[in-house]
Amino acid sequence: MPDDVVRPPRVPVVTTLEEIPPAQRTPIAGVKEALERRRARPGGRLYAGVRFGGAGVFAVIAVALVVSLANSSSSAFAHSGLSLLWSGTWDPTRKAFGAETFIVGTLVTTAVALVLAVPVGVGTAAFLSELAPRWLATPLSVLIDLMAAVPSIVVGLWGLLVLTPVFAHHVEPFLKEIPVLEWFFHGAALGPSVLLAGVVLAVMILPTMVALSRTALAGVALTDREAARALGGTRWQVVRRAVVPGARTGIEAAVTLAMGRALGESIAVAMVIGNAYVIPHSLLAPGATLGSAVVNTFGGVTTGLERSEVIALVVILLALTALVNAGGQLLLRTRLRPRGATP
Amino acid sequence: MTGPTETAEAAPEPLGLGVDAARRREIVRARSAKSLARRRFRGRVAIGLCTVAVALSLAPLVALVVYTTARGVKALSVDFFTKLPTPIGIPGGGISNALVGSLVIVALGAAMAVPVGVATALFLLERPGRVAGTVRFAADVLTGVPSIAIGIFAYTVLVEPFAHFSGVAGSFALAVLMLPVVIRSSEAAMRAVPRTEWEAGLALGVRRGRVARSIVLRGALPGLVTGNLLAVARAVGETAPLLFTTIGSQFFNLNPGQPTAVVPLVIYTNGTSPFGADQQIAWGAAFVLLVFVLLLSVVARTVAARLSRHAR
Repeated sequence: MPDDVVRPPRVPVVTTLEEIPPAQRTPIAGVKEALERRRARPGGRLYAGVRFGGAGVFAVIAVALVVSLANSSSSAFAHSGLSLLWSGTWDPTRKAFGAETFIVGTLVTTAVALVLAVPVGVGTAAFLSELAPRWLATPLSVLIDLMAAVPSIVVGLWGLLVLTPVFAHHVEPFLKEIPVLEWFFHGAALGPSVLLAGVVLAVMILPTMVALSRTALAGVALTDREAARALGGTRWQVVRRAVVPGARTGIEAAVTLAMGRALGESIAVAMVIGNAYVIPHSLLAPGATLGSAVVNTFGGVTTGLERSEVIALVVILLALTALVNAGGQLLLRTRLRPRGATP
Repeated sequence: MTGPTETAEAAPEPLGLGVDAARRREIVRARSAKSLARRRFRGRVAIGLCTVAVALSLAPLVALVVYTTARGVKALSVDFFTKLPTPIGIPGGGISNALVGSLVIVALGAAMAVPVGVATALFLLERPGRVAGTVRFAADVLTGVPSIAIGIFAYTVLVEPFAHFSGVAGSFALAVLMLPVVIRSSEAAMRAVPRTEWEAGLALGVRRGRVARSIVLRGALPGLVTGNLLAVARAVGETAPLLFTTIGSQFFNLNPGQPTAVVPLVIYTNGTSPFGADQQIAWGAAFVLLVFVLLLSVVARTVAARLSRHAR
């Protein structure tokens, strides 16, 4: 390869002077000097310092979060090993630590919450975005958007003091009577239960679910709707075959976000789940989630192995939420383009 | 969902070439009328179900707010806002310390999160590339981190080493919670400022710091205000990050180096108490928190609308 062939330098698209590599800068001495003078000015350094400082502080915090939690839980993983993941006993006095109960509780409450919130949320979003007249849709949408700001502690308080007695006396006895669902709902109707925790989580994530799905539905192109309508689709068929498939990616993102919130909620769940450290045999049984267990066990713990084991619960919870989020991202990325309005 | 089967099952009469034109037209008309009737019926059922869904999602939310308001208003009094809490189970007293404490802790948290977050957003805008991508990814991951994990993190770095619970640790936890929201919303707001305006500033020889301040930050102000207010509104109601950091207190305290009472913790401890008097306090605190948070989000939205109208 002859090295001495002179090629025209590739000119990248530049937006600021400093993005030009030094070798390619205009060889006019004055400009060069001016540039150097500018760089030497404290103002430029200050601004660079602000930007890099901000990003640096953020990076340090993000790394510190992972390192500190990993470090604090290392002795727990060393002591319990992988049995931490699938042993169901949590008994500090016997130094037996297993998170299976909490992992199951977390997954079950989240599943209950999603089963309730996703259809209701998407249905509400479809109604508000596609079906309702504007005079009704606008105020209702604003109302639900505002509800997304309701703190989870308030939802938890309402669940604990209002829903618990209602569930104990009315809802749970009623559910036990339904013949086919007996497998899910059996045992004593106490009030605090995995089911109630799921319901509270559902109420908590509903506004987010509705708001995000509504945005996704509203983003579907008008031409898609018109095409479906022109093909003779009824009002509902336009929604079902054109709008919802078009908004699928956005709705899935909403579900992923809602799921992340449901998995990670701790205080509201701790208030209504009953905090029993056994694997729930029915949705009416009390249980515990990773988050609620941390809330309840960490208070009295300051040092030693138990502290490390509780922090290990946090690490498992982090891994679980990360897994769900990564899974959601992967799902969004690998899925073929939304199927659009194909029949 | 049931597209192809609809036509398949609706073919009782042959529609071949042997049928004469008039008859054929008749059959087709009958078929499409039947199909349309069925599709309309299905649509009506589905729309009915959607209406039920609206009722199902509004009912608990409205019930929650109405009930909290009804119970909360009863708890309000001058004492509620000015007095210190009474011992557990004893009626009377107030949550003045928690109201002030919450304001101090959240303000301190915002004072940490907003400058760092906005600076990081500027970094993301000015340095596109792999490093920025990593930072952005970290912000996205951090958004999904459960708040209890952030609380434990703050506990391990700011409480344990000093063997002392403090308001600062709580503020730090809230700042970590707010940071990703602040970063991403600020970035989005500043990205909305037209690139040409940056370039115009730079072409005039204005320093980059000055461009950032006078063009980018000024232009993105409505978005910045909204994003940051919403982040604060979220932080005010958070309980889990404060549980093991500010820990709560029975006393009036303005020193962030000390354990501090905050409203969410007041709701948690009083709400889980078996005494009616304590639960009353919890409802009052929940109502005040609810009003504050809703007001903050309303203000965030209207301020954004107002400011962006002025900017035009």
